[in-house]
Order: sequence, then C-alpha cells, then structure tokens
Amino acid sequence: QETAIPGCHLHPFNVTVRSDRHGTCQGSHVAQACVGHCESSAFPSRYSVLVASSYRHNITSVSQCCTISGLKKVKVWLHCVGDRRGELEIFTAKACQCDMCRLSRY
Amino acid sequence: DRGSVLSTSAGNLRTFVGCAVREFTFLAKKPGCRGLRITTDACWGRCQTWEKPILEPPYIEAHHRVCTYNETKQVTVKLPNCGPGVDAFYTYPVAVRCDCGACDTATTECESV
Repeated sequence: QETAIPGCHLHPFNVTVRSDRHGTCQGSHVAQACVGHCESSAFPSRYSVLVASSYRHNITSVSQCCTISGLKKVKVWLHCVGDRRGELEIFTAKACQCDMCRLSRY
Repeated sequence: DRGSVLSTSAGNLRTFVGCAVREFTFLAKKPGCRGLRITTDACWGRCQTWEKPILEPPYIEAHHRVCTYNETKQVTVKLPNCGPGVDAFYTYPVAVRCDCGACDTATTECESV
C-alpha cells in the first residue's frame, strides 16, 4: 500500500476456463483486470440534501472508482481429453479509468 | 493509513494513497438564518478499487470501496441571525475515523464526480 501509485491501471491475472461442467476441455490465459487508487471524499451534506433525504443522508460521498473502460475478446486455446484441441473466446480489459463507482454490495 | 490525519501542509496530496481524516470547510446554512462558515474534520483519500472480467453474468466483477466516515460524532451549532420561529440549531457529523468501505446508501448521499 505504501508504494502504490494513484490512478487506475491494467493488471494481469490468470484465468482458467473449461468447455463444460465435466472439464472435457480446459485452458488457461493471462487476462487483464483494472486495479488502482482513485480519489474519493466524504463530508457533511448540504441542507437541501438533508431535507430531501428526511435527514437520513447527513454525509455526502463524492467518489471515483477504478473501472474497465474498454474490453476486447481474446481466444483461449483449450486442451481436451483424447488429444483434441478447442478454443473459447473470453473478455479481457483493454483500457481502465477512474469513473463512477458501482453501488451494489458484494 | 488507518487513523492518519492529513493537513494541507503535511504529505503530498497528489501522491497520497489510503483514506484519512482531512480538514474541510463548508457553509452551514438553512432558510431563515444567516450562514455560518465551519471548518471540521471530514474524509479524503484514494482507496484500492478494481474491476475484472468474469465468464458469467454480469461479466464484470467490481470491488468498489470509497473513503468515508467510519466513526463520527455529532456537533450542533447555533446559526446567526435567524428569523422569529426558526430553529437556529444546525447539526453536522465530524469524522473521528475514516476508512475505505462501501458507500452506505442508508446514511450517505452517494455521488460520482
């Protein structure tokens, strides 16, 4: 964390794919994710926000998060049972940027 | 970064990574009173967030956390020059501790830049 650089950047990660539940064909690939540190702040809400939220939202958060701004498809070669080969297309991040945060919880 | 406090002179805000208490000035104002300029502790920083493509819907998994209040105390001030019958008291939250976390839509107005 100490050496982290502000901003939102491509970050490689390993992905393993299977052609079906039985794993008849299998392959792995290094895909790209977006990882980074974008600016966010929280401060007391304006009076208009307090009134509009029935005094529930006494804090306002103005934030950006690291998002994928461009995707591309790449082919992953699969090795199958019985020396057969196959291929499958998966998505990988092409570009990243600090943008709107998703509010859904995980 | 936990529990740290940023002042405008300390540290370099351009390269700061983490979430900290930071001084914030705002105008406390409501109809029927004069506004009052207040300097208080709020939260500011850069939290680690990410998005990665996944094979199943929704095809993008997101881990989005924002720098927000983790512990607060409430402070009440009296606004000046209020008209007759106007409640002169104004309550606002003061950040005791800030942390990277989900934006809680129950207590927070969650906005994007």
